[in-house]
Amino acid sequence: MACAPARATQCVAGGIGYPQRPLLPALSMRRHLIELILFSTYAELRAETARNYLGLIWWILEPAMMMGAFWLVFDVILKSGGPDYIPFLLIGLSVWQWMKSCMTHGGYAIWSNLPMVRQVPLPPLVFPLIAMLSDTVKFAFIFALLVLLLWALGYPPNGSYWALPILFGAVFLAAAGVGFLISALVPLVPDLRFVIEQVLTVVMFLSGVVFPLSQVPPNLQWLMALNPVAVVMDDARLILMHNQLPNWVGLSKVYLISIVLCTVGVLAVRKLAPRFPKLAG
Amino acid sequence: MSEILVELEHVGVAFHAQRSLGGGRFWALEDVNLQLRRGDRLGVIGRNGAGKSTLLRVIAGILEPDRGKVRRGPVSCQLLALSLGFVPYLSGRDNAVLSGLLLGLRRREIIARLPAILEFSELGDFFDQPIATYSAGMSMRLAFSVAMQAEPDVLLIDEVLAVGDSEFQEKSGAALRERMREGQTVVLVSHSEEQIKRRCDRVVWIEHGRSVREGARDEVFAAYNDALHHVAEAV
Repeated sequence: MACAPARATQCVAGGIGYPQRPLLPALSMRRHLIELILFSTYAELRAETARNYLGLIWWILEPAMMMGAFWLVFDVILKSGGPDYIPFLLIGLSVWQWMKSCMTHGGYAIWSNLPMVRQVPLPPLVFPLIAMLSDTVKFAFIFALLVLLLWALGYPPNGSYWALPILFGAVFLAAAGVGFLISALVPLVPDLRFVIEQVLTVVMFLSGVVFPLSQVPPNLQWLMALNPVAVVMDDARLILMHNQLPNWVGLSKVYLISIVLCTVGVLAVRKLAPRFPKLAG
Repeated sequence: MSEILVELEHVGVAFHAQRSLGGGRFWALEDVNLQLRRGDRLGVIGRNGAGKSTLLRVIAGILEPDRGKVRRGPVSCQLLALSLGFVPYLSGRDNAVLSGLLLGLRRREIIARLPAILEFSELGDFFDQPIATYSAGMSMRLAFSVAMQAEPDVLLIDEVLAVGDSEFQEKSGAALRERMREGQTVVLVSHSEEQIKRRCDRVVWIEHGRSVREGARDEVFAAYNDALHHVAEAV
């Protein structure tokens, strides 16, 4: 077998004296990893509900409390909300919370699992994927409640709902791409966490999550329209509130950016993977 | 001669001394050569900080070498890791499945082995309780029972473990010895000369990250003890 002599190598031998490679090992490994990711996601959700007195209720209560706080500030106190502010805010915050938790929980997942990374040779991407999947399951609960609330507010389920999976696919891919990138960097530079929280807060305010971008001065609106988060926020409201299909051109651009982000994120994790087991937790 | 499973050639592994800007590197392993064949019971000896545990993690495929070569057949090398991925709020049963998956087993394999895990760990009804309610001994019993379900081609043990009460220690020790008798390839790191002498037939001696000698147990031990004797005399 040929290993490049100039640099350190770790390679599978298939030459004389070594046993032959078993049939389809990659396929079997992939199935094992899928089982691991799915069961770990279940375990994480199960443990989270068992950890608190109110268990599952917190999945709904926590975002509801945050929505209440924004409604109080922007609608009751500042009176800047406008007529449809409550459904506008509910949709924006639900989707944003899902994105943010995928980016941060997924982003910190390798770093927080370093003790395990030092003991088992697993592909590190497993850890952010588990975190993102469990946040996605939680979002499914929140979204079901959101649909009921919108209905109660006079926005019943409509014929444009079929476009929601396409929209949510873009949201997940965008969040996963950023999450993978963060997850590659945070184990090496844990100080980044302090910056990331602040940057995400700024992104939230610049993306039409809590107030409409129409309130932004016209000379800055073109800048806001380039923001993929703002595009998906608009699309979510078009579907859920106005029974309209998303802006397909904008959404295609979001898909394109997200795929690039995911590719860069996955490559960064794979490139830096050999360094993770050497890091102190 | 039996087949080579893992081969290390001039392997070196460097760590960053500390997480800060401009922190230097130190070589935990500098130059290690090693051949592991099927059925070997290889002991790793050396003083504290010699690089023994790092060597195990290289063989396990957790650490990649920064220089040299690691040649590995398509074999599984597993560090005997206890309580891997244990979550306090989950039941013993769920933790057994999770830990088994992390050890490389398929889900259906672990499910099939749950009765054996329950029996070996002697947890009874506690198996379906959250492990946060377990005593330290119970938790270790579960951990060992799960870890023993993994059947890697090469089992890597960092210090033979004293698990649970004395009765369970005897039981777990017997299970490990049985594994070794069955021809399991094992690499064992221990500070205890006695442990290595009892369990291994070949030994590699590591000093300051270098493999000083590798060969038959008694021969390497003789050289190792000679060297220690010289150091003691010099002091």
